[in-house]
Amino acid sequence: MTTNADITAPYKGHVDWKSLAVYLLLVIAGWFNLYAAVWDDTQIVTFDFSQRYGMQLIWIGVSWAVGLAIMLLDSKYYHMLAYPIYTIVLIVMLATLAFGRVVNGAKAWLVFGPVALQPTEFMKLATALALARYMSDYSFNIHRFSKLLRIGLIIALPVAIIFLQNDTGSAVVYGSFLFMLYREGLNRWVYIILGMVLLLFIGSFWLTPTALLILIILCCVGGNLLQTGELRQSAIYLAGLALCSLLLFLVFNMLAGFDLSFFICLLIATGISIPLVVFHAFRQRTLCTLLYIALFVGSLIFVSTTDYVFDHLQIHQQKRILDLFGIESDLKHWGYNVNQSKIAIGSGGFFGKGFLEGTQTKFNFVPEQSTDFIFCTVGEEWGFVGSAIVLALFCTLIVRLIKMGERQGEAFSRIYCYSVAGIFLLHVLINVGMTIGLMPVIGIPLPFFSYGGSSFLAFSLLFFIALRLDAGSGEFNALKIQ
Amino acid sequence: MNSFLRIKILQLFVVAMFIILAIRLFYIQVIDSSYKEMSDNNVLRYEVLYPPRGEVYDRNGEYLIQSKESYDLMVVPREVRPFDTLLMSRIVGLTLPKLRQQLRKAARYSSRRPSLVVGQLTKDAKLRLDEMNFPGFFTVYRTVRSYPRNIAGNLLGYVGEVDDQMIENDPYYRPGDYIGMSGLEQAYEELLRGKKGVRINLVDVHGISKGSYHDGMYDTIATAGLALTSSLDASLQEFGEELLEGKVGSIVAIEPSTGEILIMASSPTYDPDELVGRQRGNNYMKLLYNKRHPLFNRAVMSRYPPGSTFKLINGLIGQQEGVLKASQTYPCQMGYHVGRGVKCHDHPSPINLRQAVQMSCNAYFCYVMRNILDNPKYGSVKTGLDVWADYVRSFGFGRKLDSDFTGEINGIVPTQEFYNKRYNNRWNSLTVISLSIGQGELGVTPLQMANLAATVANRGYYYIPHVVKAIEGRDSIDRRFYEKHYTKVDPAYFEPIVDGMYMAVHNEGGTARIANVPGLEACGKTGTAQNPQGRDHSTFLGFAPKDDPKIAISVYIENGGFGATIAVPIASLIMEKYLNDTITRPYLVDYVKNLQIPYPYYDNKR
Repeated sequence: MTTNADITAPYKGHVDWKSLAVYLLLVIAGWFNLYAAVWDDTQIVTFDFSQRYGMQLIWIGVSWAVGLAIMLLDSKYYHMLAYPIYTIVLIVMLATLAFGRVVNGAKAWLVFGPVALQPTEFMKLATALALARYMSDYSFNIHRFSKLLRIGLIIALPVAIIFLQNDTGSAVVYGSFLFMLYREGLNRWVYIILGMVLLLFIGSFWLTPTALLILIILCCVGGNLLQTGELRQSAIYLAGLALCSLLLFLVFNMLAGFDLSFFICLLIATGISIPLVVFHAFRQRTLCTLLYIALFVGSLIFVSTTDYVFDHLQIHQQKRILDLFGIESDLKHWGYNVNQSKIAIGSGGFFGKGFLEGTQTKFNFVPEQSTDFIFCTVGEEWGFVGSAIVLALFCTLIVRLIKMGERQGEAFSRIYCYSVAGIFLLHVLINVGMTIGLMPVIGIPLPFFSYGGSSFLAFSLLFFIALRLDAGSGEFNALKIQ
Repeated sequence: MNSFLRIKILQLFVVAMFIILAIRLFYIQVIDSSYKEMSDNNVLRYEVLYPPRGEVYDRNGEYLIQSKESYDLMVVPREVRPFDTLLMSRIVGLTLPKLRQQLRKAARYSSRRPSLVVGQLTKDAKLRLDEMNFPGFFTVYRTVRSYPRNIAGNLLGYVGEVDDQMIENDPYYRPGDYIGMSGLEQAYEELLRGKKGVRINLVDVHGISKGSYHDGMYDTIATAGLALTSSLDASLQEFGEELLEGKVGSIVAIEPSTGEILIMASSPTYDPDELVGRQRGNNYMKLLYNKRHPLFNRAVMSRYPPGSTFKLINGLIGQQEGVLKASQTYPCQMGYHVGRGVKCHDHPSPINLRQAVQMSCNAYFCYVMRNILDNPKYGSVKTGLDVWADYVRSFGFGRKLDSDFTGEINGIVPTQEFYNKRYNNRWNSLTVISLSIGQGELGVTPLQMANLAATVANRGYYYIPHVVKAIEGRDSIDRRFYEKHYTKVDPAYFEPIVDGMYMAVHNEGGTARIANVPGLEACGKTGTAQNPQGRDHSTFLGFAPKDDPKIAISVYIENGGFGATIAVPIASLIMEKYLNDTITRPYLVDYVKNLQIPYPYYDNKR
């Protein structure tokens, strides 16, 4: 922190130049990469504003102009304007639902003459501001159920509209607020349960019922062990469970002549053990043990309903999930995008094929290559080295956003910065993850790389507001200096 | 404190997630190389450039085989977009179901690699296809064979598409390639085919070419096949085939001083043009099921009894073995009456070697044969037979001559093991006496007999008969065709035999007097080979002129009767045409052409 507060330039010296540099590097890399993805050596002119890279350049200019304005505005306005912005964007979203244009099955576009906007992109910003405003209130307490309900409402409103627009991919982004909420102290059980659900969902595709049951038991016992430290008891419990189920298995199959699978025996043994564990928990007064028992039972119920949940996804979503898990591969249809994308990235090798030398992207083997699958061009032309540098830049940006959030005196700024960090993180993870086959295909852009004016402007605004909040107003600076 | 932990967990989470992405990237970009291959498969299209196949001329520079421009329509199934199938079927001349079937077949083979839809399209069809520009389809330049003289089908052979076995044996070939399937096309395949070139193109997702890969650095051009000059005399071959029409048999004529084959005709024959183009399959099946087997090259694949022409060899062996002198006379009263005996025809007696050859006396050669086999120097007839068989083999019988075309068979020259087995060791020179007159357990090909004619013409040696005399751009053909192969008989002993053959043509009582054409100075020996399946085979071998012979010939007509009936007229006409370039006896040509021989053995066969 600087020790010199200058009235004429309230934020001078406080701008996080490093973050700004990372942002600029990402934008420049993103633009050149877009140029390479669109470029075609049959073109006569090397630059053409009507091409996507030309349009993107205009959007970059617009974004920087707006960014400059943001830096000049006092940071307190964001606190003031948070709710109005949220309301206005929400109304625009509703208007889109009514008058919007359908692109790729999603009614998410507003068209004004030559300019097409995607209000969804700005909704993230508005939601982040609204959440920051609400949660930074002095009377706010994250452990109060009524408050949580309101947070849920702030998030759920845009999500509901997005679902109505049939743009599931964009709705997933709102999951990123969990990142910020964790920092703000949301109950860890939310995350434990979410983690368990994710684990079980993936597990139910890959594992046999017996293996899945063993996995659930180990997770619950392990989690309980971490929280209570009952090492000896846990070991005894697991050993007893194994012994009991084996005994049951032998007794039933050898002596009684029933044909019972080991799965059933293990289930019976676990069922018998539950009252004993409950008794133990009451005696030791360990609440969390009870919660883990609840988690266990919930998991069993969840696993048995996974198929139901899966069956109610849309067909393309089902296929994308099956493809991701390698269960069902149809390289000509559902798996085509990801397979071509992996080929493009994989063929880049260590150093890549060089700028404008990528054959897979140049010859359009990768679909959506300038939007959702833009990372293919990075992977193909710049290889592992280039991809790793781009990832490192994103990682640096996110880590710096966390730092920027943490050094704020203001809860508003911290919450906002964390929200931005979470949004960037989720976009990068899902977008890059899907191009290399780690995530199902969800059509969300890669910040600063994917073509698209709305998303570029929205990501820039997200970043610049964070930068402005970090730079602080004169008053806050004065506070910090003290 | 709690929030401090949470901050750390979040930061750790962010870094961990990025590390997972980086590990996965490292795996697919650096460790797993399969994506690079797949990338090449996506982008690179290997376009084969087919060279024109080498052409073949006859000895006078006339075209025997020409290569004509033609185009194949290829398809890359995965690049096909819906198109007007009816229009395409009209352009390429396939029925709609057949076209669909071809496309399905192609899709089964590979969706990515090109396969043949229909071959041998005309340039006109090709231009129309180019104009329509059906996505996923392209045409490839190929050459198609044409045979301007429509002769020597079996000798020249034909070209067909490679099958799976051939592809497995030789990695040069790819599905859809053409290969010589028989005759010269097969024997000289490696010279004729040239070298395929490849052009590596970059294609986009729609299969549209985006230019060459690395500016053609890895491209190779197609090298045209080499042209061959055949030793065949096209007009002579054509004349021979005309004369053979309606008969089953063959004519082989050789230039004795070089071993170059002038005619190799096998009858019935076929028009090689029939095995080219779209109708090839149908025509091939028709030829295959023809009862007289036109696809069977009798000149090198048939095993015939040589008949009396073989007496020449026995006369030569007898002299070399010292059991016969040219002046030696033997009596003959209608045959040789020892043992089962061998019959003979009415002729003056006693006679010497020259006369025996002239009049084709059976008895004379029975005496000679017994003297060879029962020669006390060898102790037993069995050893004697082996000595005899050794001589016979030195003339090129009982083995392939190692010529330059395919399909030659060995023929049979019996050895003592053969008779030991057959007669349970109990046999003597009388048992095998029919060998003396070229009957019995002998099997020879017309080519081997022509080679005998050439050997006698050369007085003791031969060059391996061959059909290619020059290869484009090369100084010489294979070395083995320049080597003299001497028989085991001294050249001096050939004179009486040649005299006898000259007398057979020119003297009263000779068997081949039809060959007596003024200025021809022909020598010859007829044969009438007994044939258990029917009428005798008519055969003749000879050469002309007597001194410094220019042509040696063997004619073999199945079921033709006496040698003089049909074999001698044919041979004499051909020698005359070759040497004098005229036909002085048109009536003889008519006689030969009108002589139709019935072949119940073939025609009634099921």
